[in-house]
Amino acid sequence: MPTNCNGFSRRDAIQLGLGTLLGGGLVTALRARGFAAEAVNKPAAKAKACVLIWQDGGPTHYEMFDPKPDAPAEYRGEFKAIPTAVPGVNFSEHMTKLAKGLKQFAMIRSIRHDQGNHGAGNHYMMTGAPPRIPVGCGAFVSFHPSMGSVVACEKGAPAGLPAYFSLPSMSRSGGPNFLGAKYAPFVVGGDPNAAGFKVRDVALPEGLTGDRFDDRAGVRNEVDNLKRFMDKATGDPALALDEHYKQAYDLMNSKEAQAAFDIGKENERSRERYGRNAFGQRCLMARRLVEAGVPFITVYDGGWDHHTKLFETLKKRLPEWDNSVSALIEDLAQRGLLDTTLVIALGEFGRTPQINKDSGRDHWANAMSVLMAGGGTPGGTVIGATDKKGFAANERVLSPENFVSTVYAKLGIDPGKILFNAQGRPSHLVSDPTSIKELM
Amino acid sequence: MRLHAFLLAVFALAFTAPLQAADPPVTFERDVQPILTRYGCNAGACHGKARGQNGFQLSLLAYDNDFDFNAITTEARGRRIFPANAAFSLLLRKASGQVPHGGGKKLPEGSLEYQTLEKWIAAGTPRTPADAPKLEKITLSPDSKLMTFNATQQLSVTAHYSDGTKRDVTHLAQFSSSEAVYAAVDVSGKVKAGPIPGEATIMARFAEKFAVCSVLIPLPSPVDANVYAKLPRNNFIDDLVWAKLQKLNLTPSEVAGDATFHRRAYLDVIGRLPTPDETRTFLADKDAKKREKLIDALIDRPEYADFWANKWTDLLRPNAYHVGIKATYNLDQWLRRSFRENKSYDQFVRELIASKGSTFTNGAVVMYRDRRDPAELTTLVSQLFLGVRLDCAKCHHHPFEVYSQDDFYSFAAFFGRIGRKGQGISAPISGGEEVVYLGTGTGGRRNGGVVKHPLTGKEMTPTPLLGKSLDIDPDTDPRDILAQWVTAPENPYFAKVIVNRVWADLMGRGFVDPVDDLRATNPPSNPELLDALAKDFRKNKCDMKALIRSICLSHAYGLSTTPNDRNQADLRNYSRHYRQRLRAEVLLDMVSDITGVPEKFDAMPLGSRAMEVWTARSGSVFLDSFGRPDPNQDPPCERTSDTTVVQALHLMNSPNLYKKVTSDDGRCATLAKSTKTNAELIDEFYLLAYSRNPTDTERAAALKRFDKKGATRRSVTEDLMWALINTPEFVFND
Repeated sequence: MPTNCNGFSRRDAIQLGLGTLLGGGLVTALRARGFAAEAVNKPAAKAKACVLIWQDGGPTHYEMFDPKPDAPAEYRGEFKAIPTAVPGVNFSEHMTKLAKGLKQFAMIRSIRHDQGNHGAGNHYMMTGAPPRIPVGCGAFVSFHPSMGSVVACEKGAPAGLPAYFSLPSMSRSGGPNFLGAKYAPFVVGGDPNAAGFKVRDVALPEGLTGDRFDDRAGVRNEVDNLKRFMDKATGDPALALDEHYKQAYDLMNSKEAQAAFDIGKENERSRERYGRNAFGQRCLMARRLVEAGVPFITVYDGGWDHHTKLFETLKKRLPEWDNSVSALIEDLAQRGLLDTTLVIALGEFGRTPQINKDSGRDHWANAMSVLMAGGGTPGGTVIGATDKKGFAANERVLSPENFVSTVYAKLGIDPGKILFNAQGRPSHLVSDPTSIKELM
Repeated sequence: MRLHAFLLAVFALAFTAPLQAADPPVTFERDVQPILTRYGCNAGACHGKARGQNGFQLSLLAYDNDFDFNAITTEARGRRIFPANAAFSLLLRKASGQVPHGGGKKLPEGSLEYQTLEKWIAAGTPRTPADAPKLEKITLSPDSKLMTFNATQQLSVTAHYSDGTKRDVTHLAQFSSSEAVYAAVDVSGKVKAGPIPGEATIMARFAEKFAVCSVLIPLPSPVDANVYAKLPRNNFIDDLVWAKLQKLNLTPSEVAGDATFHRRAYLDVIGRLPTPDETRTFLADKDAKKREKLIDALIDRPEYADFWANKWTDLLRPNAYHVGIKATYNLDQWLRRSFRENKSYDQFVRELIASKGSTFTNGAVVMYRDRRDPAELTTLVSQLFLGVRLDCAKCHHHPFEVYSQDDFYSFAAFFGRIGRKGQGISAPISGGEEVVYLGTGTGGRRNGGVVKHPLTGKEMTPTPLLGKSLDIDPDTDPRDILAQWVTAPENPYFAKVIVNRVWADLMGRGFVDPVDDLRATNPPSNPELLDALAKDFRKNKCDMKALIRSICLSHAYGLSTTPNDRNQADLRNYSRHYRQRLRAEVLLDMVSDITGVPEKFDAMPLGSRAMEVWTARSGSVFLDSFGRPDPNQDPPCERTSDTTVVQALHLMNSPNLYKKVTSDDGRCATLAKSTKTNAELIDEFYLLAYSRNPTDTERAAALKRFDKKGATRRSVTEDLMWALINTPEFVFND
């Protein structure tokens, strides 16, 4: 069968002569060719894991990494620019720790696209593919597998651990699409900063013994007799649920998983360092999961949709965010994990140049800032630029495809490979597999 | 200046006319713009993006001719155009790659399109005269095609002008396929069928027009016509489902068994499981019409209203932090009442669109408290009730639809005169009352203001989509007129979008998918059936219950989910029933019902059902795990229907479910204490959870559990209950 997660590249598709297959359906035909294990074109992997900090809503580039101190006040905003460790490069005033630490990461200032609403923007940045049809702001859509699911599929995880985590909720378009439910994120809700935080539902409920639980698994086998339709083309959703039960059992039996979940094992100093707030502790949890061997962790960080009171809100939020993200990068570096761990922070787009009547900024896909650290990313690099007023990326203009390809290439996944949906329809992992060479 | 251009044009015309007497002169709108669109010059990824590319900006897909003309001819000090020697124009030198061009070599020197641009420049860059023949439509030939696996077909595109002239524009058209795996299309318009049976719609675009060609690729080796002739037909639905299957050479699955049908109907019509007694009675009933009797009885059950209203709360439930908790409650109650009364659907929609009065007394008004901007309301109303997505047209001509910005804002004008008084939005409290009424239109929240076109600043007149602008009496509320137009029998979209929604709910997938995206380039999988259902719906005066009844009584609805050799890859034509994961609220109520332990919800009396919860602020880890939409999130998210590990873990280990199973007042405890034999207990549990009797093997296996060392009747029933809940047979509607 067309195993998506074993190197199958563009070249194979051509050699296979997809046009000449007959009868019985493409799926069957591909299956018959048995090309499962061919690995072609695999880039050398620098990174083993990726932590994606997803700033849902669209973080402002002006007030974070791309200030425009010389622009007129209606664009410039209230915050000042501050110098960074790289001469000539400024960040906005609340990014103090990251400004000092710029030698450890790269900043991309010139990714742009044309999907100005949340649903579509999330999809584009999270999957590298624009939504196939117009979608609205409220949409939670998936037309293509997300980076997390692709990485989970390609790289797998140690026994018992899910390969893709999302804290504290799934991001939109963060799902597996046709790769199948097996590669959906394992969502860990709750606030790891709260006393007695536990990853819910991963341990037996109080009062139930292990033996009894094992017995129940046996009973479950006896009563579970719904007919399954094994051919993938039938799209039987029961198969996905089976996969989820298998994962659930594995997880409950994994000592590594249970230990990684126990943030209480972390010493007080390191908990303080990441910041005693939900976001900071999720970053810390992400580091624990990286150490446990999980290849992809999304720290979902919502509420960046600042149509109103942007300055008032960010004054409070940015210092904490700056602290937690720089703590994560530094901590990984000190533990010798940064070379093999990619850390990225971004949202679906940037925000409008003109400050609106409610002291906010609106959606703006013509410019955005993306932070990338680790996994061989040359620190101190600033790629591209927006114009003087921050309207649009105008130097080294890059696309979401370039960005997503870079992430894949760093993790040793060929962004040009061909994936197959349940009907056997081929599609490129990324339509333009050109990664950003300055970051490689 | 104008004189100069005029003279130049006359001169150029005089000079070139004798050479090409047959050709009309090359003009901007008619000849140049289509080329810029065809070669992607004005695409979103290039000069069409909001700030252009390298200082040269065109309107996206040529929606603004004046802007583009100006950008090409006068901006950059006019250096893009050099009429004295057209070939030296930057426009041509860039496009043909003679000087470095970020977009590459788009129009090779000497190509037909290059020559057209050259002629246009040499002629002095004339605009297309306002009275020139208009492009009325384009047509694709062929417009439908039956293809075999791997066959090819060249398409041709013809432009039709208002003076009756035609022009072959195949080379200037852009092509795309809705399903490239079934049939792909290349840049020249050549279609190539794939190696799998199915359908695709090929779209061609030229200027602002588009046309489609539907391609059908049946399974090879035809099926004997008798097979279809003999299929059962309960009503018109079956005729049309079978007709479609015959076209593709697919054959339907067997009929689902009585128990499966019974459980399916309960879950689909009233969103709850049958009780063991109800199942026993149905299975024992020998009446040939028992399925019909069942549907009729279910439709009249009180649970019907809450279940169907719950689906509408997904679409309309506001963020309580935004509109206030009382307003949220009122809208919720209005929805439930509407379904309880079986309000005709057109009446339901009219009451919403034309709603007036206080958010404290009329729940329907809350829609206008939640959505305040005419543009936002335009998008909502058109998508919800017409299945037309106008979002794109807010900023530019819709690239694969007929709608322009003019259409968008003249539709928005219906919402221009909404007057509001009382407490406005002051999130996160917003608890006050607001009153919506017909404003004077003189501006401000109290009066409502005129809606203007963002580009031209023109004041827009309320105009129905694709209709004529209306002259509305100042004393008449434009929303009353809109409500009439949306629900009028002549409106082609209104009935289709609702029958498609209900069909998708009951059959697992809409003819049109997503259900609220009706357009020529996203055609229904069975247009004849969609039309017939819409017509029937109208005939029944938009009676929702009658619609549900028709669908549930069709033979197609009662098919098994088990595929056969000829339909296993079919996911669009209803040759078999499609399994669906049950909705969050349905599942939670099922768990409460079968364990006999009701759920407790904040702000709800004890014993309330999940189906009755009216705000996402009534917290529930269960409901959230199973994808209940949360309107309180920013930005809000839609309901999800997939399965996840979290759901599996929750059903396995959640302390709340553990309590339900082990409660001393629960079903397990009560049944264990009862006088029923062990075998009777097992039957009861299967009937509770699966709505069927156990097979002999299943009963025997469960009986053995009672004999295990240390087992008690209580422990066996608890384990059995837990196990039944943790299976796909419980979680899915089969």
